[in-house]
Amino acid sequence: MKWRRLIIATHRDVGYFFAGLTVIYAISGIAVNHIEDWNPNYVIRTESAPLGELPPGGNDAIAAAVLDRMQITETPESVVRMSPGQLRIFLDRRTLTVTLPSGEVVDEHARRRVAFFELNYLHLNHGKGFWTWFADVYAAGLIVLACTGIFIITGRKGLGGRGRWLLLAGLAVPLIYLILVVWS
Amino acid sequence: MRRISLITLIIGLATVLSAAGGDGTTYGEGVTLHEAVAVETLLASPDDYLGKKVRVDGVITGVCKKRGCWMQITDPDSGNGVRIKVDDGVIVFPYEAMGKKATAEGVFDAITLSPEQVEARAAQQAAGQKTAEGESCDKEGARDGAGEGAGCDAPAQDNRVFLIHGTGAVIYS
Repeated sequence: MKWRRLIIATHRDVGYFFAGLTVIYAISGIAVNHIEDWNPNYVIRTESAPLGELPPGGNDAIAAAVLDRMQITETPESVVRMSPGQLRIFLDRRTLTVTLPSGEVVDEHARRRVAFFELNYLHLNHGKGFWTWFADVYAAGLIVLACTGIFIITGRKGLGGRGRWLLLAGLAVPLIYLILVVWS
Repeated sequence: MRRISLITLIIGLATVLSAAGGDGTTYGEGVTLHEAVAVETLLASPDDYLGKKVRVDGVITGVCKKRGCWMQITDPDSGNGVRIKVDDGVIVFPYEAMGKKATAEGVFDAITLSPEQVEARAAQQAAGQKTAEGESCDKEGARDGAGEGAGCDAPAQDNRVFLIHGTGAVIYS
């Protein structure tokens, strides 16, 4: 019975340690699973504003006129003439696309989606380096949790009875999916 | 004496670390080529550069908003831009990079569009949908024939899309 005590203790402690990260990965997993339907990292808003005809001039002069008319005091990160008829002004997480000379402006603002940006950053391992290593440890921890979890309960509800069928059912779902979708 | 040595060591380490970091953030393998090709030159004679590793410098004027899987580097003087496409998740270009100076390198490539892809792109542009600055690296865009397989909706020239399969970049703050 010593090994069962070890299994339960391992499952408990590894489970406590990785509980938070499991929730983080699960929430982010749902978020990025539906990436075709929404942007899980940023809230991006686009508005149009007619500023009226702009005076001819260099990029900086036109940009200054646009910012003045829009009452923006921020200094642009950069100003780029994308084509003879289009100027783009880059601010912090905000891009103004100006049609010349009509002065039609498309104003795109972006902000990080609260909490989701950080959760996705971890889950999708954008940081690399240390996080790659830690995520590998977490993955190994999940394997430990799964392998110890199936041996916690004995008897009719354990692997000898109900547990066995649930285990097989859980394995059958990906297997049937692979047979129908990938290997057919 | 020991204290002086320690201070010297700390200053030395800090100098080395700051020199290694520079004022830019490195993505992927960074940049190894010493000379950049002007985007204008690249697009004017693309066949000379196909399959070759090139470096381009410029301003980031577009980023894949959902996945960060591409960025557009534009020469601010000529307005010519080229898309740096990376594998999803391998390198992630942040939206915050928009407007920042950057240098990137990778293998220059051309994708020849099928008549269906040309048609799909024309239809999308006519409908005012996801244009070159859109997000069509997603599967929806790929299904429509104008997305992923067609170079993430990068601008086309003579039914060819030119892009750089990015291996690394440095984005300056």
